[in-house]
Amino acid sequence: MTEILFSIGAGDKIVGVTTFCTFPPEAKEITKVGDFSHPSIERIIGLNPDLVIVNLPEQSRVKKELDKLKVKTFVSSPASLSELYSELAALGTELGQRRAADSLISYMKQNLQAVTPAERRRVYIEISPRPLITIGSATFLNDLIHDAGGVNIFTDLSKDYPVVTQEAVIARNPEVIIVLHPLDITGRVGWQSIHAIKNGNIYGNLDPDQLMRPGPRLVDGFRKLREILND
Amino acid sequence: MIKITLMIIAFLMAVAVGILAGPAALDAQIIQLRVWRVVLGIFAGGVLAFCGCLLQGLFGNPLVEPYTLGSASGAALGASIGILIFGAISPILAFLGSLGTGLFVYTVARIEGGLLRDRLILAGVVMSFLCSSLVMIIMVVGGRELYEILYLLMGYLGVIINSSNRMMIIVLIIISLGLVAFLYRFHRELDIISQGSETAAGLGINIQTFSIIVFFSSALLIGLTVSIVGAIGFVGLIVPHVSKLLFGPKHRFNLGASFILGATFLLFADALSRVITVYELPVGVVTSLVGVPFFIFLYKR
Repeated sequence: MTEILFSIGAGDKIVGVTTFCTFPPEAKEITKVGDFSHPSIERIIGLNPDLVIVNLPEQSRVKKELDKLKVKTFVSSPASLSELYSELAALGTELGQRRAADSLISYMKQNLQAVTPAERRRVYIEISPRPLITIGSATFLNDLIHDAGGVNIFTDLSKDYPVVTQEAVIARNPEVIIVLHPLDITGRVGWQSIHAIKNGNIYGNLDPDQLMRPGPRLVDGFRKLREILND
Repeated sequence: MIKITLMIIAFLMAVAVGILAGPAALDAQIIQLRVWRVVLGIFAGGVLAFCGCLLQGLFGNPLVEPYTLGSASGAALGASIGILIFGAISPILAFLGSLGTGLFVYTVARIEGGLLRDRLILAGVVMSFLCSSLVMIIMVVGGRELYEILYLLMGYLGVIINSSNRMMIIVLIIISLGLVAFLYRFHRELDIISQGSETAAGLGINIQTFSIIVFFSSALLIGLTVSIVGAIGFVGLIVPHVSKLLFGPKHRFNLGASFILGATFLLFADALSRVITVYELPVGVVTSLVGVPFFIFLYKR
């Protein structure tokens, strides 16, 4: 969210961020109110903000507290690209930066154009290895994969970040595996029959921030996904 | 004899179900994966129930188990610290956590010439609370590793085995089984002690030394188990009771039966969770969900 505010020219209006907000570099200079899931309500209040942008579901506790204190909040929980666009528009209006928000939206729409290959490659995204955390359909990354010409093997799960079994991954036999943590996955017992492992279609060099944080950097992540899924 | 046969059959069925049941079609790779999972299930279920039986006998208290003595929570705390510092679970830290809480509980409960049994449980539960709070702090500070610690606290058998951790897990399992065999040899002493400490002292058993050996070996065992599959609850508490119900109070049968029944129970619970959902449920959730009704049924019958 912080990077979205900066990209629509509202960066100078930010009085506080979480330790999670690391982009752009200027964001690191802003007063911290705590970490992403447990920011301090007192510090937020202390900054006397006109508007607090909260991410759900992670910050639902914060939202509840702020509602009680009658502090105005803007809720962000984009579960798809289209939801992200409408959030951006609403946020632009809220902050008096509607025009900048609109041009960001059209920039993203232009650069995130869906490709429709004859055959979609099955993609498995691994966020964490212990336990196995992947993405379900309630994420915009699920949309990004689809628009880049692939299909998430867990797109049938309606959650955002489901914890799945190794067997479920093997049974769904992905053709491409994108690893968003630093560990090597090639030597796993039982995984050797997976198409992607047999053919070496494992990508561990993508920047998770370009795929999982809403904002203009998604364009870069999308470009890489498109290359991977259509080569 | 018939009970033992039935128990063995149930165990073999659990192994078969563990290998045959699941969403993926059976091939060499899937078999490997499931064999590993079954091995972990036998190991964890067996060791936890064995430790429960051992500790219940030693302290003559039906509530004693790795969880209520604080050992499991201590091990989970040690492992969480490992995750926070090294980004990986460290068996040594898990053991130290388990040992540290064990030491504390032991010191609190110790009096001249013995252990206060009630105080033992009280100290264990208190330490459990303390460790859980510390783990919560680590979860908040660590943030990203939240899920990893959550699964560690409930335990799960879906551990990924790869070329880098395979050897370590095999070694840890062998050490654990060695310890189990070592502790099993004390079944006679346990029988005597559970009849009362005066009798035991009269027969020349040094209860203090004996308690220390058993107590700390089981702390080591629990630390090792938690470092591999997390702190799986319920098995260590309930399985020894079921075993006693079936085989009577003699530890010669009880220790062995607890191991086999614990393994069987955990394998069935795990197979169930794998069949009903693609989500990886912490196996501790399933053991309680399945175990409690079973336990009530058994006692009410």
